[in-house]
Amino acid sequence: GGYTQSPGGFGSPTGTQAEKKQRTRSQNIVPCTVSQLLAAEQVDETFRIRDVEICQVTVVGIVRHAEKAPTNILYKVDDMTAAPMDVRQWVDTDEAGGENVVVPPGTYVKVAGHLRSFQNKKSLVAFKIMPLENMNEFTAHILEIVNAHMILRNNPMSASRAPQSFSSAGIGDVGGYGGGGSLPVNGLTVHQSQVLNLIKNCHVPEGMSLQELKAQLHNMSMSTIKQAVEFLSSEGHIYSTVDDDHYKSTDAE
Amino acid sequence: IHPSGKLFVLSDGEGKHTTVELSEPLEEEISGVIEVVGKVTNQATIMCVSYVQFREDKSPFDLEIYNEALKIIHEFPEYFPFG
Repeated sequence: GGYTQSPGGFGSPTGTQAEKKQRTRSQNIVPCTVSQLLAAEQVDETFRIRDVEICQVTVVGIVRHAEKAPTNILYKVDDMTAAPMDVRQWVDTDEAGGENVVVPPGTYVKVAGHLRSFQNKKSLVAFKIMPLENMNEFTAHILEIVNAHMILRNNPMSASRAPQSFSSAGIGDVGGYGGGGSLPVNGLTVHQSQVLNLIKNCHVPEGMSLQELKAQLHNMSMSTIKQAVEFLSSEGHIYSTVDDDHYKSTDAE
Repeated sequence: IHPSGKLFVLSDGEGKHTTVELSEPLEEEISGVIEVVGKVTNQATIMCVSYVQFREDKSPFDLEIYNEALKIIHEFPEYFPFG
């Protein structure tokens, strides 16, 4: 049969490697705040928010304004992190119903679309605008933002398997975030990963001190840092050098 | 809700209360979960600029989890910037 044929560009290793990389990178849909989108910088064809590549995004906010034009509907969506953002939804003039229903101002919506920039003004082109029926989706969205950006920033290659499938019905999953950033990544919690990465990248002979860690991780308390260091040390990822306040990584480059 | 319609008291996900003042009295009846946007005053009340009533017709809103989520996003300002 024809099963030995490699499909498209995914089978051949060399020539299409660059093309394949480009294609897989912009396949993420990343939940964001409007303030993050406004802060995103454009490099050639892609947008980046501090190293996280952004193409398709989801935003949750309130419709502040809705303007209907013959071919599109222009909304202003506000998620309180910045001024309301322009969201354009193209209307299919051939299809009746569905697209022509305008979402009234004052409604919370989830927008999924592409980030665009025109003359330095950012906007979204939405392919889906859904009024929120369950407000717990709002809570889930803000947690997904922190989670997604944290995972994407720490490990760009895991972007392809970033869990974007948090359903709003599964509020039981959201409950797990109550501990504050304790989602395991590579067997380490986020805090431990961050501490380990900093220690790994420290090339000073006496290693990274706890004070340095605290200075760089200003949103982590000293006790959290100490706990992370103790765990990493007992697991063998780091070892103490001149004293118990200085550590180096066992697999430092 | 105060009889004059210009004040109402909200309790948050931790059971703490706060007073919300309006510039004009309420014109409608409100109940359930409300999101208020406003400024904090010196008397620790909120001067309301706008409010939105959350839909709870399909499923109830879990205020405690929302409160926890808020704490988390404040812990990670680098991932959740406030303009």
